[in-house]
Amino acid sequence: MKTSVLLLAAPLAVILALGLAPLVLVVVWSFCAWDSATYWIKPEFSVAAYGAVLEAGRWSVFLSTLGKAFLTASICLVIAYPTAYAMYFLAGRRLSVLLAALLTIPFFTSYLIRSFSWRLLLGRTGVINTLLQQAGITDAPLDWLLFSDFAVIVGLVASYLPFATFPVLLSMRRVDPIALAASRDLGAGFWTMARTVLLPLTYSGVFAGFLFVFVMVAGSSTEVQMLGGAGASIVSVMINDVMRVANFPLAFAISTLMLVIVFGLVLIGDAIFGLSSLFEERGQ
Amino acid sequence: MNKDRDLASSALRSNMQRRDMLKLMGAGAAALSFGGLAATRAMADDATVAFWATATLDIGDKWQEFARQSGVSPEFTDNGNDVGPVVARLAAGNANDLFDVGGFQGGAEKELAKQGLIAPWDVSKIPNFAGIWQWAKDIPTLTHEGKQYGIPTVVNADSIIYRPDKLGKVDSYGVIFDPKLKGRVAMEDAWINSAIFTAIYLKEAENKPIKEPGNLTESELGLVMEFLIKHKKDGQFRTFWNGWEQGVQLVANEEVDAMTGWEPIVYEGRKRGLQVEYAAPVEGYEGWGNNTVLLKGAAERGKAEAAHKFVDALLGGLYGCELGKARGYLVPTDNNLAYAKAHPDEYKADDVAKLADHVKAKFSGKVYWQNCRPDNFQLYEEWWQKLRNA
Repeated sequence: MKTSVLLLAAPLAVILALGLAPLVLVVVWSFCAWDSATYWIKPEFSVAAYGAVLEAGRWSVFLSTLGKAFLTASICLVIAYPTAYAMYFLAGRRLSVLLAALLTIPFFTSYLIRSFSWRLLLGRTGVINTLLQQAGITDAPLDWLLFSDFAVIVGLVASYLPFATFPVLLSMRRVDPIALAASRDLGAGFWTMARTVLLPLTYSGVFAGFLFVFVMVAGSSTEVQMLGGAGASIVSVMINDVMRVANFPLAFAISTLMLVIVFGLVLIGDAIFGLSSLFEERGQ
Repeated sequence: MNKDRDLASSALRSNMQRRDMLKLMGAGAAALSFGGLAATRAMADDATVAFWATATLDIGDKWQEFARQSGVSPEFTDNGNDVGPVVARLAAGNANDLFDVGGFQGGAEKELAKQGLIAPWDVSKIPNFAGIWQWAKDIPTLTHEGKQYGIPTVVNADSIIYRPDKLGKVDSYGVIFDPKLKGRVAMEDAWINSAIFTAIYLKEAENKPIKEPGNLTESELGLVMEFLIKHKKDGQFRTFWNGWEQGVQLVANEEVDAMTGWEPIVYEGRKRGLQVEYAAPVEGYEGWGNNTVLLKGAAERGKAEAAHKFVDALLGGLYGCELGKARGYLVPTDNNLAYAKAHPDEYKADDVAKLADHVKAKFSGKVYWQNCRPDNFQLYEEWWQKLRNA
């Protein structure tokens, strides 16, 4: 017991110091007044920063961020689930490792380069527009391929797909193949088996994958700035804008609201989908 | 090595180590603990100057030669260029304990001076100040209450990048707002530049009641931003570009036919075989300066003399030649050309003269100065959000 407490103490202290303490500071300072004379925080209680969130259409950035995060996470899951199924149940060990490696290849380079490469693919003179025109499918470049919500979602899905795939894969490892075989023996077709047996047993992985992507999209900015149209925004871009004019309470209020939303989502997900079961051994 | 040298190098090392430690401590915590250290630092070697500036003002290995010639050894630190965090670190953080001289985007001087965060220069101790071209000395943000707070170390002027093969000759910002070019133009994702470009256009081409495009009143700003919002809603802008490489890619990959932006993008486009020009707009240029300021901490630590020597050396010729060669930036003085002529092995006098003439030509007409800290800068941010969300 003593050993386990000692082993836990060090990482816990590090997590508290590096993770929780700055977050607490962010929350506390979001309720402070802003001193326009020094551009710093006055130690006075104020909810002015939260009031400012409702101004200049900032609330709409929250909505569009949540929308982008939801859509990206959903698309990622639609792609990730069959991918994980194929990797775990259909592919052999070697092929499975190869597929996993392929999924991680995009991460060998920086997120900036990944986003930039989409500009080269989707642009007016990019590969896709060139191919479409050469094939006679279009007469002129399709402008909506780049600098649009479409381009942003493509960039986000490509960036964060592995973060949905691996939790689903992890959850599938917990599915007893005997249960799947039994459902087949009892007459269930593939889709019935998938819907009634496989999916419920992998809910925790599905939710974890959703959550990973959702949270990462909510904190992303590069894809939106590089692939979005004029003035495309997301919460992290808005925070950068506010930090540029040194309005720290407002930046912290925006961050706090996002924290509340994400923590709320984690709690709800855990209550409904049993996120913690992802870390339990099969049969426990 | 003699004893004096040992002591000097030891003091320098100690000074640098202390600065490194302070940097690690972070702004907030460090602000609380500096009373004692400031006094300690007064003993620091006065032949060094901590220069906290925009990364593009760094001349890397050439600082050694600079130090040899000037007798002042600069320690360069990138300030990230964004003036917001810079001001905050000066006002409530530890920047004044760490750095002696700042190189900031023009416009912050008045605000910093009002808050007592920077000290005025004594231009009588900067012999090369006299040689700064007059129009650069006349930048309105350099002085406050009659005192010289900013030295115009680097200047240039921006306008429009365009494709003459597609658009013919362009000489007006009107091209950016021309409905015929809907979806074929872009502006920079920064109010510091895009608001002033629009204001210059509205003032000069549409006779709108705008006094100073670089420092818009609340109603002027509303006028400018509503104009931008209307055009954004109409689908005028292909995107708002962000950063040098994105700007280059927009032009090089033919995403836009015209956009407001920096001249180096033109050179990059040409390198890629495109016909790209930089417009001389009838409405005038957006002038910008990166101005050098004396931080209050330096004055208090007895580093003012070294700081004056340092800024004098910035205007001495070597720095101008090196910045011109490396980045196409201009230090506004004839000393660059004199230095290039005296050092033909290192710098081509013709290139230095050409750069000077080119920039001077821009300033021979109308120029409105960029201002990174207009009086209503918080409102600028709010309006930029409205534009994003429109």
